[in-house]
Amino acid sequence: MSDLVNLTIDGMPVSVPPGTPLIEAAKQAGILVPHYCYHPSLPSPAVCRMCLVEVEKAPKLMPACVTVVAEGQVVNVNSPAAKKARESVLEFLLINHPLDCPICDQAGECELQDYVFQEGRSGSRYDEYAKRYNPVEDFGPDVLYIPNRCILCTRCVRFMEDVAGEPILNVSERGDRAHIGIDDGHLLDHPWAGNVVDLCPVGSLISKDFLHKARAWDLDKTASVCTGCSQGCNITIDTRDNTVVRLRPRANLEVNRHFICDTGRMNYRWMNRGDRIEAPLIREGARHAAVAWDPALDRFAQLVRGTSGPVVLLASAHLSTESLAMLKRLLEDKSLRAAVRIPVGEEAPLAGVSGLALRRERAPNGEAARMLGFGTDWEATVAAASGAALAVVVDEDLTEGEAAQVSRAKAVVVLGTAEPQVIASAQVVMPLTNTAEESGTFVNRDRRVQRYLQARAAPGMAQPGWWVAAETLGRVTGTDHQPTTAALAFALAASAVPALGGLSHESLGLVGQLARSGAETAGAGATS
Amino acid sequence: MSADSPASVHGAEQAPYRPVFVGEAKARLQKLFEQYPTKQGCLLPALWMVQEARGWIPEEGIAEVAEQLGLTPAYVKGVVTFYTMYHTHPVGRHFIQVCTTSPCNICGAEEVVKALLAATGCGELGATSPDGRFTVIETECLGACGFPTPVLIDNDFVESITPERVSGLLQGYK
Amino acid sequence: MGYPFPSHAKETVLLSRYFGDAAARTYDGWVKRGGYEGLKKALGMTREAVIEEVKNSGLRGRGGAGFPTGLKWTFMPKSVGPGRAHYLVCNADESEPGTFKDREIMRWTPHGLIEGCAIAAYAIGAERIYIYIRGEFTEPWAIMARAVAEAVEAGALGRSVFGSGNRIEVVLHRGAGAYICGEETAMMNSIEGKRGNPRIKPPFPAQSGVFGMPTTVNNVETLAAVPSIMMRGAAWYKALCLSSPKSTGTKLWSVCGHVQRPGNYEVTMGTPMKDLIFEMAGGMRPGRKLKAVIPGGSSVPIMTAEEIEDCPLDYEGIAAKGSMLGSGGMIVMDDSTDLVYQIMRLARFYAHESCAQCTQCREGTAWTTRILERILAGQGRPEDLDLLLDLADNMTGKTICVLSDSCAAPVVSGIKKFPEEFEAYVRQRRRAASSGSAPALAARS
Repeated sequence: MSDLVNLTIDGMPVSVPPGTPLIEAAKQAGILVPHYCYHPSLPSPAVCRMCLVEVEKAPKLMPACVTVVAEGQVVNVNSPAAKKARESVLEFLLINHPLDCPICDQAGECELQDYVFQEGRSGSRYDEYAKRYNPVEDFGPDVLYIPNRCILCTRCVRFMEDVAGEPILNVSERGDRAHIGIDDGHLLDHPWAGNVVDLCPVGSLISKDFLHKARAWDLDKTASVCTGCSQGCNITIDTRDNTVVRLRPRANLEVNRHFICDTGRMNYRWMNRGDRIEAPLIREGARHAAVAWDPALDRFAQLVRGTSGPVVLLASAHLSTESLAMLKRLLEDKSLRAAVRIPVGEEAPLAGVSGLALRRERAPNGEAARMLGFGTDWEATVAAASGAALAVVVDEDLTEGEAAQVSRAKAVVVLGTAEPQVIASAQVVMPLTNTAEESGTFVNRDRRVQRYLQARAAPGMAQPGWWVAAETLGRVTGTDHQPTTAALAFALAASAVPALGGLSHESLGLVGQLARSGAETAGAGATS
Repeated sequence: MSADSPASVHGAEQAPYRPVFVGEAKARLQKLFEQYPTKQGCLLPALWMVQEARGWIPEEGIAEVAEQLGLTPAYVKGVVTFYTMYHTHPVGRHFIQVCTTSPCNICGAEEVVKALLAATGCGELGATSPDGRFTVIETECLGACGFPTPVLIDNDFVESITPERVSGLLQGYK
Repeated sequence: MGYPFPSHAKETVLLSRYFGDAAARTYDGWVKRGGYEGLKKALGMTREAVIEEVKNSGLRGRGGAGFPTGLKWTFMPKSVGPGRAHYLVCNADESEPGTFKDREIMRWTPHGLIEGCAIAAYAIGAERIYIYIRGEFTEPWAIMARAVAEAVEAGALGRSVFGSGNRIEVVLHRGAGAYICGEETAMMNSIEGKRGNPRIKPPFPAQSGVFGMPTTVNNVETLAAVPSIMMRGAAWYKALCLSSPKSTGTKLWSVCGHVQRPGNYEVTMGTPMKDLIFEMAGGMRPGRKLKAVIPGGSSVPIMTAEEIEDCPLDYEGIAAKGSMLGSGGMIVMDDSTDLVYQIMRLARFYAHESCAQCTQCREGTAWTTRILERILAGQGRPEDLDLLLDLADNMTGKTICVLSDSCAAPVVSGIKKFPEEFEAYVRQRRRAASSGSAPALAARS
């Protein structure tokens, strides 16, 4: 493009659109300019002074977060003057910052630690009276504020004011007495307030939920997608010893920028639940007996092959696109009625980010279900199950009444994750992996198809839903070229659903892609 | 703030907070709204009105101002705590500020402070005297450097104060 | 005049002519003294012509920065766009230690200030003027409030000033105790009802000032000089110049500290500094020698007794000596001064006043103060002086505003020019031999 601005950063040529701040332009050269108060999703006040860089012909060091690119500019991020300035900012920050690392949750993912190790002084020259002591404050419900550690970057204040739209945090007092304050009698209970913990570069704002739970360097981090609603915020699942201990937002400028809501943030305990269906079960008389996969799959295949009456498929909208697609494919030759349950809740938008909210539709994959031809008339479909020849329930907690209706089907098969999902009358029960234990995709409400990866090992003999369906389908049709990976299952789905045409796990990457619109697919042939 | 407002700041008011912006004060606030394009612009004047009426700015005062101007209490509090002339706790009936910055410092300002602390019975800076009459603090340059040492008592700006003049000065403040 | 003393022969009395004359405070009194003719004349000129006149006069900002006033006015948009009201802000926050001139202008010639503000507002297309008066100035506030009311009644302010059809209104805005609000962008934030935090520039006030509108901020003394420029012309003002041609007009010097006659003295730019200190202000107290002078308010480098010997009182002359004219708040210190103590006290001033935005200022001003306190307590170490100089270097040129640099200035100049004072404390754990104890000043009538 001819209207890019060309400049040089640390000797490397960079070309960016006009109006780009130097700190963003530097990323193109692979350079991270150290900073605290700057954040791509917040307005820039240029107060921390960490990002000062040398710009040829400028009389003073310039803050890279607010200085925009100019044609022919020569910028030096690591000149001696810039490095000395950064070293001095770090030294200034440490004169009041306590050496809490051994007891601070942020250790290992702390930007103060990181930059001090990278280019701070090896020892402080501060030798005056004791560092300040202010007691820990409970900003509630989940956030603690430790004023001693605060570096006054004001990201939290700006987030609440400009992004959440609720200026409930302030900077109180001035000079080195300054600290973050909150209204007396108020709590940080805004639906998106938990993000201040992520935004805080140090361990000053911390999560009570995560307090002293795990060390950052013990954590395995996996890219995933939140299952809380149809927004599909990108997250990172942090696990330690195969237990999910924390969810954090993962940046995706098209979906959730750098944020997740508190509902989604706290929505992980079910990933660790212990009351799992561990092995396939076959009904023998009045009880279920655990068996290996083969007999269970054979039994399921037998039921499918032998059914000529109506078949009802009741599935969870938490299932992956791959699972939903394979299940549909398994049963599509039958007289099939399929539906997913869509739970609903209150919407809670994040005022400062357009198109971002905790959505009414509190399931991650309703959109894929709809694309694949599942209905959302749950109650009616449950009622229809009572007269079905075969009812297949997949990863849904049925109420007593629903279970009673489903049990009246001639045959019931349950694929589930947790023990309460087992229906006494089921012929076959098969253990499924939950979202954290498998790899797959969700389609969010904007029809963005996004991958999630496996974060923890599955318990017992659990397998993903698409695998169970694929294995069963192979036995039903007597063929053996069914998908053996989630990627292949997705490819199979994409070949049959015009909206998913041209997409693959590889092309989705970790930021996802939009499914094709109805208009784009209209000429592409019959929909499934 | 009118030129005719009461000279002394009210003493420690522990009674329940009475709203300030009623009647005449409310009318004054309405006039203020005409002088600034935003209600937020009226924040400093509105805070002065609360302090003039109540002697200090309690939490309820912060909440009242916030409500009148469409701001959050946290926001108002951030502003109140920035400016040192707003009192966020009760002070003596008469609030005494003595400049001790260098131009006055080299002309004996610290001796004036000592004399005031003794004469008022406050004993230490920031403390209120046992009879509730005075609070004495050191402050930064009052802009009267040619007339050391200047002292601001409530709204009375007096100059050329020396230790010898202290007792005479305090007599006017009951 | 050398208020509160009678005018000295070497003064050029313009702004200070009516200091001490209570009758000059009233509207009628001011008119009797030729007041408001400047405004009437300006209203009969085009805005551009008024700006040109002020530009040609060489008038520079008297608050501290010394920026050419007429040039600053040209930064405003030439016409007022829809929804883009222009504003004039008059900086009466006078908090720079050593400075006490603006209060006298307001106390004695409030109408002179109002007239200057009105002319400036007319020139830049502003219909509203905010006069930001620091909260502690209770007497100037009361006097200005009365004067504004009188001016409105007389038609010198209002919807149609002197029937010209131009609308000019004054709003007095009371500060609440923050030196940093004297910085123009912090002042604008304070007027908007915010914490007095300085803003990053760009954007500049003339593009986006108070309430996001085009704004010009000028000091009291600067604006007070405008009416006479209107009446007597740019050439007359420009000719008031004894040394550098880039420094014209008169300056009110607030002389304080260890002189016999502290007060405000108005002199033509370029007047020798030693004339001001030793003749007009009466020189040293008996038995005392001059030790140091801070010429422009505490934020400028300290000058030694030798350096002031041949220093013209103008922007370029003082800069050539390594200091700055600044606000013209001249702090004179004789040999009774414990210079280390006073530099500590100044560092503490800046630490109290830091707004807390920038790391270097928020932490550095406090750290500097603590080191100096420790040195004064007899626990200094030789490396402390290098540390102080390095901290000062780290605090200079790195922040949104110059409060941080202002803290560094007395520290650096103090250590470099008076090393023996610091060495005495560090090496001998006591004051330097030449420093006696500060005697209390005789009571002033």
